[in-house]
Amino acid sequence: MDQILHEVAFFLKQMMLTMVPFILAAQGTMLAGRTGVFNVATEGIMLTTASVGFIIAFQSNSILLGMVAAMLVGGLFGLVMAYMTTSLKLNQFVIGLAFFFLGTGISTLIPKLIFGVSLVQPVIPTLQNLPIPLLSKIPFLGDIFFNQNILVYVSVLVSLLLYYFLYRTSFGLEMRSVGENPKMADSLGINVFRQRYVAIIIGCMLIGLAGVYLPMVYTGTFTEQITKGRGWLASALCFFGGWRPLPILYGSLFFAGIEVLAYRVQIGTSAIPYQFLIMLPYVATIVVMVLTFKRSTTPKFLGSNYDREKRTL
Amino acid sequence: MEQNEVILQMVDICKAFDGNQALDHVNFELGAREIHGLLGGNGAGKTTLMNVLYGLYKQDSGDILLKGKKLRIASPRDAIRNGIGMVHQHFLQINNWSVVQNVVLGSSVQNKWTMNLAPEVAKLQKLCDRFAIDIDLQVEVGELPMGTRQKVEILKALYRGVDILILDEPTTNLTPQEVDALFVSLKVMVDEGLSIVFITHKLREVLSVCDRITLLRNGKNVTCMPRSEANEETLVRGMVGEDLNVKDSVIFSKEIREGTKIDEVVTPVLEVKGLRHVTEQGIERLKDVTFSIHPGEIFGIAGVAGNGQLELAETLVGVQSKAGGTIKYNGRELNMVTAELLQQGLTYIPEDRLGDGYLPKVNVAQNLILGAQHKQPYSKNGFIDWRKVFEASWEMIKEYNIKTSGPKDTAANLSGGNIQRVMIARAFSHVGDSLMLAHCPTRGLDIPSMDFVYKKLLARKMQGYATLLISEDLDELLLLCDRIGVMYRGELVGILHRSQFDKYEIGRMMSGVKS
Ligand SMILES: Nc1ncnc2c1ncn2[C@@H]1O[C@H](COP(=O)(O)OP(=O)(O)OP(=O)(O)O)[C@@H](O)[C@H]1O
Ligand SMILES: [Mg+2]
Repeated sequence: MDQILHEVAFFLKQMMLTMVPFILAAQGTMLAGRTGVFNVATEGIMLTTASVGFIIAFQSNSILLGMVAAMLVGGLFGLVMAYMTTSLKLNQFVIGLAFFFLGTGISTLIPKLIFGVSLVQPVIPTLQNLPIPLLSKIPFLGDIFFNQNILVYVSVLVSLLLYYFLYRTSFGLEMRSVGENPKMADSLGINVFRQRYVAIIIGCMLIGLAGVYLPMVYTGTFTEQITKGRGWLASALCFFGGWRPLPILYGSLFFAGIEVLAYRVQIGTSAIPYQFLIMLPYVATIVVMVLTFKRSTTPKFLGSNYDREKRTL
Repeated sequence: MEQNEVILQMVDICKAFDGNQALDHVNFELGAREIHGLLGGNGAGKTTLMNVLYGLYKQDSGDILLKGKKLRIASPRDAIRNGIGMVHQHFLQINNWSVVQNVVLGSSVQNKWTMNLAPEVAKLQKLCDRFAIDIDLQVEVGELPMGTRQKVEILKALYRGVDILILDEPTTNLTPQEVDALFVSLKVMVDEGLSIVFITHKLREVLSVCDRITLLRNGKNVTCMPRSEANEETLVRGMVGEDLNVKDSVIFSKEIREGTKIDEVVTPVLEVKGLRHVTEQGIERLKDVTFSIHPGEIFGIAGVAGNGQLELAETLVGVQSKAGGTIKYNGRELNMVTAELLQQGLTYIPEDRLGDGYLPKVNVAQNLILGAQHKQPYSKNGFIDWRKVFEASWEMIKEYNIKTSGPKDTAANLSGGNIQRVMIARAFSHVGDSLMLAHCPTRGLDIPSMDFVYKKLLARKMQGYATLLISEDLDELLLLCDRIGVMYRGELVGILHRSQFDKYEIGRMMSGVKS
């Protein structure tokens, strides 16, 4: 009995830890999506920010500085992307894919330039747990939920804030209107461009934080393809959660559960091939998408640029 | 109207879209407390001119003067700030939002951080009461019938408290009663100090509310005259030049036509018996609808919008499923599991041209052949023969007088009326000898185009083909139909033969009085 309880507690705690990059990346993608900009570069941005954030943290010996750097780099990506899609009106998918490849490339290039090819991996200390006073003392649950690293709390908080912002404030209403009908928003005096810039940049900063989480919590170092497709899963999560913050939060928990499960099974047995296990989240995505497809909502103008003088009807 | 001070002037406005000169040195003037009618054929540039004023389009040259001061309007935001409001020809609404949310968007609400909209709802309710607009503010806009959505659009402008209100064809989706109510509201607004620009194709409306009328043709000024000098004929002449031969026209014809004698022995083309339709929510929208259409007949359905006309059309087409009753086509019963009537060749002109009948992002040619793409002559060995398609498109563009740069033009670029012309061209070019179901086919068309459609419909009738014409325009039905069925709350409350036609009688039936 005790053994099982212990297993469950461990599983849940791992899950909480694992959901963070899903949440941050998906919420970041979602935010831009709500204004009609489909960011398909999430994976690439995560890779670059993981790489840069790690290096800054390593060089400066400061985890915090690493995080700030990752967010800044993410924001920079966002700024350029916003400029190209919103101001220059270039195709969002083409730009997004270009940025994905660019990000992937940069992520391996920079460490090579800075560390050269070395046999010993540079490492940083992983993020410490930050037990919340009192709450973490609750038997069983306390350790699972309130004895985690700071980004676990931040990611949940960000989700709740985004929910509140988007659905309970007039600013959120305005932001959502831009993705639902930019012409209408414009005709009512809402600055479509500004909304898009803000949403893309803040979204990319969140994605940056998601990226740097990986070396800071999982490995302590940057390895190639460290994201393992989490950026793409973030896009899937957005559809899965109907581009709404709270369902995305639950979805992230679900994806995290599958990831942990796959990991546990992999350690426990060799009967199931590893490749099958890393496939699981994608299979789960397809299954869930099919099941929830009818209810799923997408911003009406997701993926289309806005040009005031063009008629769209 | 006594000569009031001028509050707005648009001087020498020019605007071109990739070489297509939509506005060519247009002048426009609006007086204080004036209702100024803006008239012109489809594609004349009315919407474009007003979009310039509202900051949606930037003029290539020309000035806008507000109370004599030159004004730079770079965006709708500037327009709103200067007290200009606009009701757009095609609704700008978010379907899955409530009416309130649609209306208050972009205005500063009282409870910014909680979105408790109670104060705004109260304010809106007052507005609704004052202008006799009856809307449930909490319903999702997408659920509302077209007429009500139109009112939401008007509400949006009123809510912002404007000095100058632009109404771009606000009456296209309204019933006659609603139009009257709107006019009363307009008079109230003008008395309170508003000035109104009113765009419409309906001369009667112009002659009954406008103080002055500006006429545009092909992006140029024709005249500007006070109402006292205007009458139907001068307006039509001004709008279309010599294009419309009034003597030949159906609309202005004085001739009295007899209804087709129905030969009871001949099998009806369409026979509908006891048709029922129930919505997903369990509401009965069609109750025991029975009628038949014979060869050579135009059968009309009259009624105030929202009384089951849309359900009738969509059940026949097969978009919605029937809950009971039978549908026979040329004597053969259809089980309607699939869109059988369509497969049998039914031609359908849907009411909501943008939602159900048009692909804005593809080109005009593709829209013109949509639905017939697998037929001759467009299809060759299973592939589309684009050369044929473009040839045919050019012909349709010429015959139906569609104002566009050509078949390759992006369909969304067309003006509202020209989109409707595309729908008409598509329907009449591919109808053949089968049944046609036309739902408000002349909505948004200018008078010559309307006349053209009437001629086409009558020609079909002469050739012995059957047509089901659903319309909210009673004059149109009286002009064309052999028989009219009146719908009220999903029921056909009576069917009148042409010899029994009486406008007032039908009006009464439309409000539920059985004959
Ligand atoms: N954004 C645009 N891009 C390209 N062409 C345009 C655009 N807007 C308008 N036009 C063209 O300008 C001309 C005038 O269009 P406009 O919409 O002003 O006509 P309208 O007078 O409002 O007609 P309707 O009665 O049919 O609504 C048309 O030929 C139309 O195709
Ligand atoms: Mg127009």
